[in-house]
Amino acid sequence: MKKIGGVIVSHGQVAGELLAAAETIVGSLSHITAVSIGWHDDVELAKDEISRAIAKVSEGAGVLLLTDMFGGTPTNISAMFIKENEIEIVTGVNLPMVIKLASQTKEMTLMELAKDVEEQGKQAIYRTSELLEPQKLKKDA
Amino acid sequence: MLKVKLKVINQLGLHARAAAQLVRLAGTFQSSIELKRVDNAVVADAKSILSVLTLAAARGTELGLQVEGEDEKRALELIEEIFLKGFGEL
Repeated sequence: MKKIGGVIVSHGQVAGELLAAAETIVGSLSHITAVSIGWHDDVELAKDEISRAIAKVSEGAGVLLLTDMFGGTPTNISAMFIKENEIEIVTGVNLPMVIKLASQTKEMTLMELAKDVEEQGKQAIYRTSELLEPQKLKKDA
Repeated sequence: MLKVKLKVINQLGLHARAAAQLVRLAGTFQSSIELKRVDNAVVADAKSILSVLTLAAARGTELGLQVEGEDEKRALELIEEIFLKGFGEL
């Protein structure tokens, strides 16, 4: 099965650390890589680096770019690469999203995976005190 | 279909790396494998780490394991074993 590749793109070192955390949990991830964009990096250099990262992880099934924040430079530069059915971006990357991208078990299209990763990222946010008091919640309901 | 009740006994509970270990093991079986919290009925697919993490199973949590498929007996035995061993963290 060809896996959909992944590139995490962020300001500072966030991207690399997210990838390192995901690898600690699920094991080595050869189809995902990270690009850190320095606060003062040249746009053309950053663009080249993302381009190389895409080439590195691409297995021919598409590449999903996970960026830190919509509207930020990493997202804006990544957006230059969007190509239907080949390269897609999901913003607001968190650890569950990286793990979702890491654990592709069945053949799926880039667009299907992008949607799953987006939904996973949103679903994985909990106000934990609420979650840990199910009894109280039931009473209130 | 086979069922058994399990208890999380390791200090850190069913945390990310322990969950990953469970998911790797579960993934080796053809059977469908579900874990259900006894106290609030949250159900997780044991083959998905993100699903297992939603159980938020701290130490002492009781979980119902339900296995169904051709290799259910072996799956149940081995999964019960890693819970009994506290995911190798005892």
